[in-house]
Order: sequence, then structure tokens, then C-alpha cells
Amino acid sequence: MVALTINGYSYLVDAPPDTPLLWIIREELRLSGTKFGCGIGLCGSCTVHVNGEAVRSCMVQAGDVEGTSITTIEGLHYADNHPVQQAWIEMQVPQCGYCQSGQIMQAAALLSANPSPSRDEIVEAMDGNLCRCATYSSIVGAVARAAEIAGSEA
Amino acid sequence: MSTTDTQLSRRDFMVRSMATGSGVALGIGFTTGTISGAHAAIEPAEAFTPSIWFTMMPNGRTTIHVVKAEMGQHIGTALAQIVADELEVDWQDVSIDYPEGSAENFAVYGLAYTVNSGSVTTEFDRLSRSGAAGRIALVEAGAALLGTNVEDAVAASSRVTDSVSGRSISYSEILSQTTIERRFAYPDDFRDIPRKSPEDYNIIGQSMPAHDIPSKTNGSARYGIDVFIPNMAYGALVLPRARYGAKAISVDDTNAQSIPGYIQAVTVDDSFGKCTGWVVAIAETFPAAVNAAKALEVEWDPGPHGDVSLEGLLEEYRALQADPEVGAPWVDQGDVDGSLANADDVLESEYTTDMVVHATMEPLNATVHQVGDTWHVHTGTQSTSFARMTLTAYLAHFLGKPAEEIKVVVHQRVLGGGFGGKQDYDEILAAAYCSHQVARPVKLLQTRETTFATSFPRTPTLHKLRGSIQGGAFTAMQHDIVCGYMGPRFSVGKAYGSDWLQLDADDGSGRDIDQWSIGGSDHWYTLANHRVRAINHDQTTWAVQASALRTVSNSYNYFVVESFLDEVAHRIGKDPLEFRLSMLTGEGTSRGIPNAGYEPGTGSDYYMDRLWISLPWPSEDSWIPYESATVGGAKRLANVLRVAAGKAGYGKRMPKNHGMGIAVSAAEERQSPTWVAGIAEVAVDPESGEIDLQKLTIAMDMGIAINPVNAVAQIKGAALWGASQVLSERLTVKDGAFEQHNFDTYLPIRLSQVPEIDVEIVESGHHPSGVGEPSSTVVAPAVANAVFNAVGVRMRHMPITADAVKAALKAT
Repeated sequence: MVALTINGYSYLVDAPPDTPLLWIIREELRLSGTKFGCGIGLCGSCTVHVNGEAVRSCMVQAGDVEGTSITTIEGLHYADNHPVQQAWIEMQVPQCGYCQSGQIMQAAALLSANPSPSRDEIVEAMDGNLCRCATYSSIVGAVARAAEIAGSEA
Repeated sequence: MSTTDTQLSRRDFMVRSMATGSGVALGIGFTTGTISGAHAAIEPAEAFTPSIWFTMMPNGRTTIHVVKAEMGQHIGTALAQIVADELEVDWQDVSIDYPEGSAENFAVYGLAYTVNSGSVTTEFDRLSRSGAAGRIALVEAGAALLGTNVEDAVAASSRVTDSVSGRSISYSEILSQTTIERRFAYPDDFRDIPRKSPEDYNIIGQSMPAHDIPSKTNGSARYGIDVFIPNMAYGALVLPRARYGAKAISVDDTNAQSIPGYIQAVTVDDSFGKCTGWVVAIAETFPAAVNAAKALEVEWDPGPHGDVSLEGLLEEYRALQADPEVGAPWVDQGDVDGSLANADDVLESEYTTDMVVHATMEPLNATVHQVGDTWHVHTGTQSTSFARMTLTAYLAHFLGKPAEEIKVVVHQRVLGGGFGGKQDYDEILAAAYCSHQVARPVKLLQTRETTFATSFPRTPTLHKLRGSIQGGAFTAMQHDIVCGYMGPRFSVGKAYGSDWLQLDADDGSGRDIDQWSIGGSDHWYTLANHRVRAINHDQTTWAVQASALRTVSNSYNYFVVESFLDEVAHRIGKDPLEFRLSMLTGEGTSRGIPNAGYEPGTGSDYYMDRLWISLPWPSEDSWIPYESATVGGAKRLANVLRVAAGKAGYGKRMPKNHGMGIAVSAAEERQSPTWVAGIAEVAVDPESGEIDLQKLTIAMDMGIAINPVNAVAQIKGAALWGASQVLSERLTVKDGAFEQHNFDTYLPIRLSQVPEIDVEIVESGHHPSGVGEPSSTVVAPAVANAVFNAVGVRMRHMPITADAVKAALKAT
């Protein structure tokens, strides 16, 4: 049994504590916006926030994040209107979209730590997130745009 | 024009609403039988097949029915734009739906198959005509209700307006107040439907936000992997070493028994030639299934391909190429042998390309369950039609039932990447088999490792080229290609009675050549003496399960042709740009053809009409001719090359160890080319051999860009796909197994490796062609040519690794 706090809700899940957090989020709680990509922390599709920091949920055992605050793409903003989400739509970033939950969570964590990142800082922060459609050019522009939106909302 | 009392032939098209008031639809479709009598208008007769292309409800909401797969190209939005523009419907009133893959919908919508960057090319004509037909019917009905002449009535933004009085009526009001039944006889009426001039487009050519994007920013888009069925069990694969042909002999699950949630191990019936040697561990949760899979002890017979290695295949390729008797000519023009015999100089080169895989971000998966007599499949696939047909045949095979008694419905999901990698159906078959064995819904979910191990890669290839040079001129080209054809593996077409994929050899001998494996080598340069010899290595096809991967054979053939022509240019002392332009004259077979070739016997009636269209033709009759994407021929290629050269500043001075390389391509098919030129700028580190790809300039003429923002995004994504292939992606096979299993050894391009990309869309106004793939084909040769210009070494293998560049530099 593991006790988790995800998107502000408390869950008691009947799973061994060494279960990767990803599978509890996706298949037990059915918050399926968080995606399975590689299982070894190299693609970033499964990125969620643990206490506000971007982590690869395939690499985290559920028992190790009890007592933390976990956020998935579904809980990023109450109206799906986080500056990163706004920028992603404005710049029409997603193609197949499969990696984009992870990209958005990675970008949101970057902006909360660094509200106006340089291009190099964006590239460094986002380099661990693979996109097979190669929407990379749009991603860089959209992160910068999200920083602008966040700045104007502040 | 009311035809309620008229016998309709199968080939008539109808725009009609079945009754006034709410809850009815205006659909356009063609009739599959006869209807007659006034009642036909209010009683949807069995014989009438409504709503092939779109449905408009009395509230004015218009739904475009899309049977193409959404895999990142936003095709539903593009197709909806085509209909909406001619229909003069307000874009805000437009939505999209995706009919499921059932036998009934196959009869209505035709083959659902999304490949070849062909959706816009093949659908543009019929969708714009259907939109225009809808507009005509609404204008006629609206004019009658307004009491005005049809000639004075105009449609715009979901309203019909009397241009004399200024009075107007909305589409919604028209549908609520009257019934519509407007017949367009095929082919005369349909051919003559007036359509807009491109300058009047107000939705086509606008960058409408893609309908599928918002759901891809909040986690709500539902992919195949996101399917949850009550009482569902999970399956994880246990695989033999050999990619294909192994057989499970025994399965011992003693160690799996103690894993909580473990249900059972299933040895999949592979006597159909699919899922060979697959064993599936079934459990209550996916982690438990994965743990059980690891705990199973399985013994296999490795089968006939258990010792296949890349080196061994290449050795056999070389032996085949050395035998002049094997293979068949795909192109055979002029006197190649004579030119080579009389040449002052013959340039000979050997090129090779490695395998690459789709590696879609969504690992392969399928969920299957049976409800009553019906098998339900939930997955994201490039063809719901072939998925349904393949599973039907498999179920008939292992259940021992006639196929007619088996009902399969494929519930299409969003695809987490396609790239040609979701047109095989092994997960579906295995999930169905497991579901049958455990009598529960089964979600078969591949890990990244098993996704790699069961992938369907691009074939390894070997190319031998000879160029004849006489009096300083390039006079002939011989290109031998050895690879594993993908066609024979895609047997489903033949099983269902169509001879798709296989074309005859150019010499009329009837020896099969697989266009998908050889296409692109025929290029668009005017060359009097030109021969391409196509040679199939059958074991490759089966041992690695060779398949179609984004741009198919164009990816290797343009790499080879465009690299070799650069070699020739340097050999005869001509500038590679001038050399190319001198041969891109649009003469002879490079002139393009006047229409899409619907006269029998022309080269292009093959794909467009018989295979790719999403329309079930009542007979062998063809669609009416429309302008071919080939119009203009190689002159359009010359044009984009000039545009790209100008934008990139071709010829400018480059620093030491920097170089610029050029290439052109006309992917996807000979019959549906998108004209593209690419210029790469690289810096090569002469010590390490590292290639720093700094900039790509792409100019593309796709005729009409339906949605320019999306077109540019597709062009950039495809260009980076090409960059990834030429710089780092490599799949190898040893002892029958692929050697790369995850993103630690198989290396798609990452953000930090992305160069500056400058895209120029050249809108020529011709029939639109696809943008999802073609730009990827120019990048590899442009990079290879740039490396040569930077450091003087000719790289003849793809990918071009730093080690290979370093070794080549050392050898000079």
C-alpha cells in the first residue's frame, strides 16, 4: 500500500512500494496524460513534478515519494491554461503529441525555477525530452513565449 | 433538378437532407443502389449511403468525416479546410470525427490507410468537389426560400445572401425549413461543378489552429496506450532472440507463479506467420506482467534466420550485384552499356545504408476484447481497414471459422507517432489470441525494449553506381540497388485480391519490382542513358521484417543519387548547382504528365486511384481526372533549387573546415512528387571527425499549402528526421536479433543538436502534394555533400559517423 498526494488529492493505492510511480499514475489512477516512453529515464515522456521539480516518473519508486506533492499534466492548471499550455497552443507545438505532456511539465518546472531563461538555458533544460516528430524548434520558441505570458500575468 | 422520382445509378452523388427539423443530417455521398419515390427523402433507404464526406446538422454544425489517421500531421484539420472552403461554411461551425474501422464503414468510407504523404494529394479533388456540391445545393435551396434567382444568391460564412436585396438566410435556417435533395450525375455533373479560384480561398491557405492540438496540451488526448476496459488484464512480451521465424518449444512458469497478480503465460499461435515465437506473460497489472515475463523460462527453436548478421547480408548483396543476370530494370533508357564502353572516364562508387527504425514515442500496443460475436480492437493504427482484415483472417485461421462469421471493429485512437511504423498488426493479433485464451480483455503493451526487438526497419541497402564521362560531359548512369523488398511481406493486399505494391519491371518481362523499395532512384534529371537495376534479397525481407519508414526508399535512393551526382560534378569540374540545373530541364520522362493519369496505361493510375483513395469504388471505374502533382516536372525542381540556393547564399566564402552541400528530391512517389531542395551547412572537426550541422535551408513547392504554419512545422520535423538518420541513427542485426533496444544505443536527434532551419514555401498553385515526409530526403545527401566541400572526403555510407569521417580523413 502506498499513500500519494497527486494534483492535490490523496490516494491510497494497493501496489508494492517499489512500483514505478509512472504505472500507478497511469494504469491505477488512470491519469493517462503522463506517458510511458522508454522506462529508463532517457526520453522524458513520463515527466511529472515532485514538490515542483521535474522528475522522470518511470525512475521513481512510489514508496519513495510518499509525503510529497506530485503534479501531473492533468493538475498543472485548474483550467488547462498554464502559460506553457497557452504558449503550446499559440505556437501550435504538438504534432503526434505523445511526448508533449512531458515537454510541458519540463518547461513549466524550468519557468518556475527560472522565469526568464535564455535560449541556452531552455535548450539545456529541455534536452532530455525526446520528440520523435522533432517539434524542437517550436518548443524553444514556445518556452520563451510562455515566459512572456507568465511575465505579463504576474 | 429534383430527382426523387428518378432511378439513381450507383455512380450518382447526392446532397440531401432527409427531413426538415432537428435530428437529421445533410450528407453527401454516392448511392450504392437505387432509390425511388418521394418517401426516399424522408426514409433513409437501405440503398442510400449517406455522409461519406461530411454531415451538416440543422443547427449548422458541420462535421467532416476523416478516415485518415492522426499521427502528428493534423490531417483532419487540413481535409476539413478543403471541404469548408468550398462549402462556404464558417470555420467556427466545423468539427471533425473519425469513423471506426468496421466492415460497414469500409463500405461507406472505403479503405482507411494513411501513408505516403498522400492524404491531401488524393483527397483534395473529391473533397473540394463535395464541398462545392454542398454549397450549390444550399444556395439553390436558400434562393428558393428567399424567393430570388439562384444566379443572384451567394454563399459565405454559413449564409446564403441575395446579392440584389441583401436579404440572407443561414444554412441552419435552410436545413430547418426545407428538405434538400440534389443529384449530381457522375461523371458529367460532378466534373463540371464550379469550384473557387485559388485567389478566392479564405480557409485553404490559412493557418487554422489544428483541431487535435488542445487535447495534446492537457493530457486528454487518448492514444492506444490509454485504453482501459473493465476487467482488463495486461500482457508483456517474452521474445526469442531471432527477429523472425523462431518457434517456442517449451514455457516454464514456475518462477512466475509467486509473482502477485500473475495469471498465466500464453504461447501465441504463430502458424499464421506473424508474432513468431511470441510468449505473453499475462497479469493483473503491467509491472506484474513485466516481472512475470522476466521470470518465464522459454526454450525456442531459432528458426531459419537465427544466424543472420548485417555483415553476412552485405556479403550476399555484393555477390548478387556482381551477377549481371539477377534483378530487373526499373529504369532502362538509351544505351547505357554503349556509353560506358565508349567513355573516356568511368566513375564507379559503392554506397551502403544501414537500417533505421520508426521508434515512435508511443511503444506498440493493442487492447482487444470480445463482446458477444464482435471483437473490439483499441489501438492507434495507420490502417483500421488492414488491421480489421488481418485480424479477421487470423481469427478465422485459429478459430477454424469462416471469415464471414467473424466481426471485428477497430476503434481508432490518436497515434503517438506513425512514420510507417503502425501498419503492421502483430500486437493486435497477439492481444486477440491472449484475450481468447484468458477470456478477458487484454491490453498488450510493449516495453521500449520489445518495441525495438519487434520493429519493422528500413532495409539495409547496397548501391553500385557507374557514371560515364565522355568529352567532359556526363553521358550515362547505371545504378544497381540491392535490398530486401518490403512488398512481399505486405501480403495482405494480395490476399484481398489487389495486386498492390508490385509493379512490373520496365522491360515488360513481368519480373516484379517493389516500387516502395526502389522508387526515388528514377529521379527527375534528364539523362539520355539511364538504367536502374533492382535486385531483391529475399532473406532480408523476412529476417529483419523490412518495412516502410518515412519516405520509404526515397531516403536511401536520394542520398545515393544526389551524392553520386555531386561526385560526377566534381569529376568533370562543374559546379554542383550548375550541373544539376543543366539536367533539370523537364524534358522527356522528366516533363511531368498532364493529368493524374486516369487513362489506362499511363504511369500514374496505379497508386492514386486503385490504392490510396478513401472511397470504395462501385466498379473498376476511375475518378475523373484532376491535375497531376507532376505538372511542370523537373522545372519545378530547378525552381526550388534556385530559391534555396539564393536563400542560403550558395557560393559564399566558407571558413576552413566548413562546407555547404546541396540536394534535391521529388519524394514521395513518381506520381505524387513534392518538389524540394535542401542546403546544409556543416563544420567538420578534422581531429574527431564530428559533424556540426549548423543550418538547413529548405525550399519546397507543394503546389498549394493548405495550412502554412502546419506545413512549415511538418517540413522542419521531417528535415530533422533526415538529419537524425544521416548523423546518428543506426540499427544493426546480429545472430538474427537487432542490437539496439532503447534510447541509450539508438540515438534520435535531440534539441541541443538542432540546427537553424530556414524554410521557404514556393506556392505554385498546382495540385497540392504532401508535406509530411519529403523534406527529410534532401538532408542526408546535402550533409554528405557539405562534408565533402568542408574537408574533401566523400562519405558513401549512411549514417555518417564521426569515426567514419575521421577514418576517411586519415586515409587521404
